[in-house]
Amino acid sequence: MVSTRNSNGWVVWLSFAIGMLLSVSPMPAFAEVFRPMWLALLLAFWTLALPHRVGMTTAFVLGLAEDVLYGTLLGQNALVLTLITFLVLSLQQRLRMFPMWQQSLVILVIFGIAQLIQLWLSALTGNRLPTLALIWSAVISALLWPWISYGLRGLRRRLSIN
Amino acid sequence: MLVVLSITLMVVDARFTLLKPFRSQMGLVLMPSYLVTDLPQRLWQGVASQFGSRTELAAENEKLKTEALLLQGRLQKLAALTEQNVRLRELLNSSALVNEKVEVAELIGVDPNPFTHRILINKGERDGVVLGQPVLDARGLMGQVVELMPYTARVLLLTDTTHSIPVQVNRNGLRAIASGTGNPERLELRHVADTADIKEGDLLVSSGLGQRFPAGYPVATVKEVIHDSGQPFAIVRAIPTAALNRSRYLLLVFTDSRSPEQRASDAAIAQEEADRQGLPGAASATVPATAPALVPSAAVPSPAVAVPAVPAPAAPAATPGAPVISRERH
Repeated sequence: MVSTRNSNGWVVWLSFAIGMLLSVSPMPAFAEVFRPMWLALLLAFWTLALPHRVGMTTAFVLGLAEDVLYGTLLGQNALVLTLITFLVLSLQQRLRMFPMWQQSLVILVIFGIAQLIQLWLSALTGNRLPTLALIWSAVISALLWPWISYGLRGLRRRLSIN
Repeated sequence: MLVVLSITLMVVDARFTLLKPFRSQMGLVLMPSYLVTDLPQRLWQGVASQFGSRTELAAENEKLKTEALLLQGRLQKLAALTEQNVRLRELLNSSALVNEKVEVAELIGVDPNPFTHRILINKGERDGVVLGQPVLDARGLMGQVVELMPYTARVLLLTDTTHSIPVQVNRNGLRAIASGTGNPERLELRHVADTADIKEGDLLVSSGLGQRFPAGYPVATVKEVIHDSGQPFAIVRAIPTAALNRSRYLLLVFTDSRSPEQRASDAAIAQEEADRQGLPGAASATVPATAPALVPSAAVPSPAVAVPAVPAPAAPAATPGAPVISRERH
């Protein structure tokens, strides 16, 4: 952990807080299926940009918070988010070099895997209809990735977060 | 390592109650986010009510007044009916109906997961809410409390796929189990015989058999009954009477806090009391042996224990049920 005072680390946490709000904000019923995985998107961006700052532990803690918010078993979202971060971290060196559309594709695959695991876990705990509609949110997230990525990159440059 | 940790956490959370306090404390910190996301809606409502026109308000006032009048009219009848019901139950020697207390709660959030039907309400452990507590709206049963946090609680709705509720047809008392389907406008009755007397438009009320929900609250109305000769059971679909996806104000029902066993034993003691009172001569041979053991442990206040001595002289002449009624009226 870098302990520089002026590295604007609070912006990262603020973005996570906003992501958490977005992930519980009310939406019309038909659009619920398409809710993007906000926390996962933000985590993916920050792990790509600041791997020394945001890592698997952050993902785990955020996942626990999300579990409490959603009322799922404690550890379910934590597992999924940790997995996403692990995959992003292991692909980090290559992923940073990719053009944006390729990044989006990789994100789609990673989030798709995560959602499948989510589906599997919730089927195990007997909580949900086992349906593949969960994949939609991965697709929407992948479509949102370029915007999130460019936006946050601009923010990062401007505030010189590292 | 973290993967192992999260899997362990999941198993522990699913099997034991060890993590519940941790969870509810985290809920205390995190649940305001539902309130924050609900703010725009609240603000909008506030603004709308500020600028509501006078005529609209007058019309609403008029409507509410008529409604109150109607309800009060019905209430007058209800008092008499309740009285009558109590007396008839006394005659039948069955246990008395419990009077339930209700408290108003407000919806503060809906579960973001589209495949579950759960809502958050603004009353929690500190307000005396307990796990499994039934929740109503103005029109019928909505669901039950499944998770407690200090100032909020999560309510599982009737239509969730993991939820079932024992019901009976109001018309003839036919029992069935209504399961959620994941569709907010649909419940399904499981294992109803093809020849069962159930038809479209029947009102289903809670039967109280699961000992979770109080008996007699409306649950759903039957929408269609499909008799398929290829199926072993009839397919019965019903629409919940409560506005599950529209109600903003809910009622929490506080029932008797005693466990069913306690209630049964209390009822048995009351019964014994009544018997002793009614037939002092016949019962006196057997009761005194058990009475000293029973009475101190019972929750019966001492005046009730003293009662048997008073009507005893008149009792042999009267029918067994009569003294009970006269005592109830006072």
